[in-house]
Amino acid sequence: MSLALILGLAFWLGAWATNALVARHPFGRTPAGRIFVPVLFGITLLVLWEALVRAFAVPTVILPAPSAIAGKFAESTGLLWADFVQTVLKGALSGFVIGTGAAFLAAVACDRVPFLRDGLLPVGNFVAALPIVGLAPILVMWFGFGWQSKAAVVVAMVFFPMLINVVAGLGSAERMQRDLMATWGASYWQALWKLRLPAAMPFVFNGLKIAASLALIGAIVAEYFGSPVVGMGFRISTAVGVLNIELVWAEIAVAALAGSAFYGLIALAEKAVTFWHPSQRT
Amino acid sequence: MKKLITAGLLALMAGAASAEDVTLQLKWVTQAQFAGYYVAKDKGFYEEEGLNVTIKPGGPDIAPEQVIASGQADVITTWMPAALAARERGVPLVNIAQPFKNGGLEFTCLKETGVESPADFPGKTLGVWFFGNEYPFYAWMAKLGLKTDGSEGGVTVLKQAFNVDALLQKQAACISVMTYNEYGQVLDAGITPDQLVTFSYRDQGVTVLEDGLYVMEDKLADPAFAETMVKFVRASMKGWKYAEANPDEAAQIVIDNDESGAQSLEHQKYMMGEVAKLTAGGNGALDPADFDATVASLLAAVSPENPAITKAPEGKAWTHDITDKALAE
Amino acid sequence: MKRALPVLTVLIGIVVIWYAAAVWMNSTWVYDQAERAGTTVSFAEMVPQTMDQDRPLLPPPHQVGAELWKGLFGQAVTSKRSLVYHGFVTFKGTMMGFGLGIVTGVLLAMAIVRFRVMDMSVMPWAIISQTVPIVALAPMILVVSNQLGIEGREVPKAIIAAYLSFFPVLVSMVKGLRAPDQMQLDLLKTYGAGEGETFLKLRLPASMPYFFASLKVAVAAALVGTIVGELPTGAVEGLGARMLLGSQYGEPLITWAALFASAILAGMLILVVGLTERMIAQKMGVRT
Repeated sequence: MSLALILGLAFWLGAWATNALVARHPFGRTPAGRIFVPVLFGITLLVLWEALVRAFAVPTVILPAPSAIAGKFAESTGLLWADFVQTVLKGALSGFVIGTGAAFLAAVACDRVPFLRDGLLPVGNFVAALPIVGLAPILVMWFGFGWQSKAAVVVAMVFFPMLINVVAGLGSAERMQRDLMATWGASYWQALWKLRLPAAMPFVFNGLKIAASLALIGAIVAEYFGSPVVGMGFRISTAVGVLNIELVWAEIAVAALAGSAFYGLIALAEKAVTFWHPSQRT
Repeated sequence: MKKLITAGLLALMAGAASAEDVTLQLKWVTQAQFAGYYVAKDKGFYEEEGLNVTIKPGGPDIAPEQVIASGQADVITTWMPAALAARERGVPLVNIAQPFKNGGLEFTCLKETGVESPADFPGKTLGVWFFGNEYPFYAWMAKLGLKTDGSEGGVTVLKQAFNVDALLQKQAACISVMTYNEYGQVLDAGITPDQLVTFSYRDQGVTVLEDGLYVMEDKLADPAFAETMVKFVRASMKGWKYAEANPDEAAQIVIDNDESGAQSLEHQKYMMGEVAKLTAGGNGALDPADFDATVASLLAAVSPENPAITKAPEGKAWTHDITDKALAE
Repeated sequence: MKRALPVLTVLIGIVVIWYAAAVWMNSTWVYDQAERAGTTVSFAEMVPQTMDQDRPLLPPPHQVGAELWKGLFGQAVTSKRSLVYHGFVTFKGTMMGFGLGIVTGVLLAMAIVRFRVMDMSVMPWAIISQTVPIVALAPMILVVSNQLGIEGREVPKAIIAAYLSFFPVLVSMVKGLRAPDQMQLDLLKTYGAGEGETFLKLRLPASMPYFFASLKVAVAAALVGTIVGELPTGAVEGLGARMLLGSQYGEPLITWAALFASAILAGMLILVVGLTERMIAQKMGVRT
C-alpha cells in the first residue's frame, strides 16, 4: 500500500469521525454546521480520488487527478468562460425562458379551456416521460449549428414537464377557497391572479427545478451534433479526441457549478415567493 | 486408438492454447473503411496465422488512442496526426503498418455558394470534423494564411456532425467529406458532381496519412508481441488485398459484422470501391517520405488552440521491423 | 368516450400540423432541386414530392409509420435490422439501471433516515449530483469502468441510467420512511419493539405508497439515461445508437423510427410499472 493511499484513507476516517461528531453536536444544528458537514464530505471525496489516482498511477489520459484538473481549470478560465456563455447563457438559458414561458401560457390556456386540458394533459404526461433528448440531431438539422438549435432542443425538453406541473398547480387551490372567490363575485382572471396562481407556485417551482437540469443536458447534448467551435458540449465531445482529458473534466466542473447555481437560484426564488407554504417552514 | 485420440485432443488443446489473442480497436463504426480486417477475420486469415482477433468498432466518442493507453486494445487504427499528438501527450504510439497509402479526406463545396478556389474561402463558413480529425484542416488554413477565429478576412469554422446535412441545408459553404463515405452521401442526396467543387488535401499540398496500424512502444519491445504483430499485419494485408479483388463479397462481410444493422449494402459497396483505390497503391509498408511530409504539414500549423504537435516526434514513431518480416515471403 | 374525445382531437390536431409542417419544410429541397435542374414546379406538383423523399427534413407521419412497421415486423426479431432487437437491448439496459437505481436509492434512504451524519453530508450531494449534466459524465464513466476491467457497455450504461433513476426513489423513500408520526413511533416503543422491528413493521410499510409513486418517474428516468448512454458514447446497439447512426448515415427515417420505438417502449414500461403498483397495493390491502 502506497503512502498516498494510506494518507487518503486516513483523511477519510478523520473527516468521517469529525462529521459524525458535528452531526451530534449542537454546532450541527446551526446554519454553519449545515454547510460544514457536506463541504467536508465533498473534500473527502476529492482527496480519496487524488489518493487513488496517485496510488495506482492511473494515466492522465484515463482519469486525471483533481489537482491536475484544477490546474487546467485555472489556466484556461478564458476558454471556459467563452464556452459557458455560449452553452449556458445563450443556449440553455434562452431555451429555458422560452420553453417554460410557453408552457406557462399553454397551461393557463388549458385552465381556461377544459376541453384543451383534457386533451393535452394525457398527451403531455406521456411526452414528458419520453427521451426527448433523441430529437437533438433532428433539431440541429432544422435550426442550424448556432445556439438557436441548442435553445430549440431545450424548449422541446422542458415544455411538457413544465406544462403538467403548472396545470396541476392551477388545480391545487381548494374547493372552499374557490367558492369563496366566487361568492365575492371575482372574475376568472381575478380568481386566477389572486388565488390560483399563488396557490400554484410550489408546483411552478417544482417544474422550474426539473426544467433547469433538463436545460443543461439538452444544450450540451445538442452541441454533439454540430456546433460552432465554442461551447461546453463542443469541448467535451472534441477534447477527448485530442486526449485533453483534464479539459473535459474542467468543463464537467463548470457544468456542475452552473447546474448547482441555476438550481440554487430557483430554490432561493422559491423561498422568497412561497414563504407561506408548509414545506418552507422550518 | 485411445492414444491417438488423446494425442489428437492434446494437439487440439495445444492449438487452442497457442492461439494468440489480439484486440483491434477501430477508429470508426463498422464499415468498408475497415473491410480488410473483417475479411481477414471472416475468411480465416487470422486463424491461419494462429491468431484469435477481436475487432472493436469505434464511434464518435471513442478515441482509439485512449483505448490503447488503458490497455483495452493491443493495436489500433487511427490517423497519423492523432497518433503523433497522442505520442506527444505521453502515449507512445508506433506505426507498424500503413494500409492506406493515400488519404480519402476531401473538402467539398457547393458551387452555388460561390466557391471555386481556396481564394474564395474568406468570409465563408466551413464545416470541419473535430475529435482529432481537425489537424489537416488547420494545417491547410495555415498554409493558405487564413485566420480561423472568425475574424475579418478569415473563415468561420463549424463543427459539422459526421454527416453531410450542413452542406445540404446550406449551413456551410464547404464541408469535410471522405471520398468513400460522405461524398457518396452528397451524391445520393441528389447533388451531381458538377454542382460541387472538391479539393483534395494532397493536391493542396497538405499530406496527412490516414488509417495506419499503431501499437504501444513498450509492448513492441517484447519479441513475442512483435512476432504476433508480424502475423497480424501479414493476415490483415492479405485481407485487404482480398477485399480489393472481391469488393462485393467484402461489402457483404462488412454488413454481416455490422451490429447496428443500420448500414446499407449498397453504400458499403460504394465505400469498398473507393477504399480500394486508397489501399491499392501500397503493400502496407509505411513510406518514410509520407511520414516526413505529414510531420511537416502539421508543424506548419502549430497554434495554441490546435496543438497537434509542437515539435518533431521524438524517438521511433514508426518502424519497418514488422512490415519487413510480414511481407518477406 | 367522453374522456377519449379531447385526446383524439389533440392527436388529430398534431397529425394535421405535422403534415402541414412536412410540406412546408420539405418544399425547400424540391424547389432547390428544380432550380438546379433549371425547371419550375407548381404548388400542386410540389406537395406530393414532399411526401416521399429519401432524406426529408421532416418525414410525414405515414413515412415514419411505414419505417416503424418495417423495423418492428419487417424481419425476424433477432435480426440486427429489427427495432425489436434494438428495443430489447435498450430495455435490458433500462432494467439494469432501474434495478441498480432502486437498490441505491432505497439503501441510501435507509442510511439517511437512520444516521443524521449521512443525512447532513450525503443529501446535499445527492441533489447536486442531479444538477450535473449526465451527458458530460457519460463518456468518462465509460472510460473509467473500462479501466476497472469491466468489458462492454452494459455496465456503464446501467450506471448512467441508475445515476438518473436513483434520485426520485431516494427522495420519496426518505419522505416515506419518515412518514410515521411520533404517536405511532411511541406506540411501537410501548410494545417494546426494537429499532429493527420498528423499521420492518412500521417504517417500511408506511413508505410503500411513496416508493411506488416514485417508480414511474424512476423508470422513465432510467430509459432516458440508457438512451443518453447509447447516444454519444459510440454504442452500436440499442435505440439510442439507432438515433445517432440515422443522423450519421444521412438516413433521417432511421432516427425517427427509433424515436417512436422508444416512445412505445416508454409507454409499455410506465404501463407495466403502473399495473404492478396496483396489483401489489391490492395485495397489501390498500383501498383505492
